[in-house]
Amino acid sequence: MIEPEDRIALQDVFRARVQRKYAIPFLMDYVQAGFPSPAENYIERVLSLDDLCIYHPEATYFIRVGSDSMIGDRIDRGDFLLWDAYYCSPEVTHGKIVVVQLGEDFAVKRINYVDSNQLILESSNPKYLPIYVNKGDKFKVCGRVTFAFQKLI
Amino acid sequence: MLYGLVDANAFYVSCERSFQPRLEDKPVIVLSNRDGCIVARSDEVKALGIKMSKPLFEYKELIEANNVQVFSSNYALYADMSRRLMSTLTHFVDDVEVYSVDEAFILADGYEGIYPSVRGLGESIRQTVAQWLRIPVSVGFGPTKTLAKVANKLAKKQPELAGVCVLDTQEAIDQALDQFPVGDLWGVGGRYTGMLKGNGVETAAQLRDLPDDWIRQFMTVNGLRLVHELRGTPCKMLELSQPAKKSICAEPGFGTLVADLETLTDALTSHLSRCSEKLRKQDSLCGAVTVYLKTNKFRKTPGNGLPAKHYYKSITVELPHPTNSTPDLLKYAVSGLKAIFAFGYNYQKIGVMLTDLVPFDYRQKGVFVDGPNEKMLQLFTVVDRLNRRYGQDKLRLASQQYNPDWPMKQKYLSPRYTTRWEDILEAK
Repeated sequence: MIEPEDRIALQDVFRARVQRKYAIPFLMDYVQAGFPSPAENYIERVLSLDDLCIYHPEATYFIRVGSDSMIGDRIDRGDFLLWDAYYCSPEVTHGKIVVVQLGEDFAVKRINYVDSNQLILESSNPKYLPIYVNKGDKFKVCGRVTFAFQKLI
Repeated sequence: MLYGLVDANAFYVSCERSFQPRLEDKPVIVLSNRDGCIVARSDEVKALGIKMSKPLFEYKELIEANNVQVFSSNYALYADMSRRLMSTLTHFVDDVEVYSVDEAFILADGYEGIYPSVRGLGESIRQTVAQWLRIPVSVGFGPTKTLAKVANKLAKKQPELAGVCVLDTQEAIDQALDQFPVGDLWGVGGRYTGMLKGNGVETAAQLRDLPDDWIRQFMTVNGLRLVHELRGTPCKMLELSQPAKKSICAEPGFGTLVADLETLTDALTSHLSRCSEKLRKQDSLCGAVTVYLKTNKFRKTPGNGLPAKHYYKSITVELPHPTNSTPDLLKYAVSGLKAIFAFGYNYQKIGVMLTDLVPFDYRQKGVFVDGPNEKMLQLFTVVDRLNRRYGQDKLRLASQQYNPDWPMKQKYLSPRYTTRWEDILEAK
């Protein structure tokens, strides 16, 4: 299959190297002069929010909340939400808070599938009326909201 | 063996649409670096007859009349979406070769137990990418990479295939190649198309059936490899780890014409900083710098409308020792520029190319010269890290500062939805 002259030439062979990147270890104990602490053998990896919050890195995105329509679910204007496009089907989103594409905008609402022709997007603030979406409307469920981040200071 | 090629349709346009639903079904154009020329078009734009690689102003009326949406290239967004795309593919198969920002070859053998049919594999890749990234991709399968590429083209062209084309039987392959224009084949290009057509070869099938000797004589061993691939014998393997590039270059055009040495030097510094950063990223050193300078070949002299005098010159400066530090490289590049600069022309482009690349570990002291300055090499790895963290060109050479609005002219840049906090999507 590979002809002899097709072999990789020596100048094209490069030494593989590990990328020079270090995670800061989570320090278990104070450094002591004299005897090393036995706990140093138990250095752990630093805790990462990514590990905690991102289930599907390829399908996870951020969105900022632009209204107070979901205040009843403790999601306020200016909060950051993480959403995962892995969860899109009616089975896994029914009754849940989702990011949807409605007309030309993105919106965050609770979704309820009525039947195969209609669904309702509900806000959790009495100021906002539910939105009825019918078959044929320009609409798409983008994914489920997985985490909400709120600034406290 | 069965190879697959996954290719995003009008990738840059699709990335913009992914975060801006209002762009769906509308004509959309993405411009190159510095808003120079058109690098991506949606189907609606193709239908208007707007061609690739043309400067925007050539289509000014057409764009206004049809309300074409124009974007500067948002490389931060495209790079992130590309990373997501490639990573998504690894959920389906083990072997993925990232071929370019928007295409990847996959090895589709041995998944019979998981995916009932190859077509089914293609369809689930398409469906998943559409759901996770909101961008359309086409998938082509064939017994060789070249045939997978052919299949992919067909998947894009023929709507009835619904984005997936499988060439896994001899009849299917023969039928596809019978109508496939020879110029559209991977690796044929303009140079051979004319020659082949002159010899009466119009389709891929005709090329496949030519004798080996003829191919070798007129199209070198690479042509022979292509023909073998068309016959179903794999000659191009999957390259799973990217080989380091053999040369690195940058030559974005100016938005306007430039006549003075000072601006040129400034542009050269910008390009060189970018190139040497790439060089450091792939852990290489370079042994030679090439600088070239050119005027617009098609420019007419204002007033009389005669073709303006064209100037093109390049120079290669060999370095005493391989290096990747920006000031070192700049010293040689600038002296090169001074040597080729001629007064009295309006320059359109200045380009810089780094060649004779060697791995970082390969550093040799010459007999009469010292090796590269180790401190400088280390300094610039730090500079790169800082710039990655705080934004491009935050830390730069002073000579790069001469013109603060030089580096990018991006009038139509969309938000960087996935890489900047201030740019993320907002829910209404």
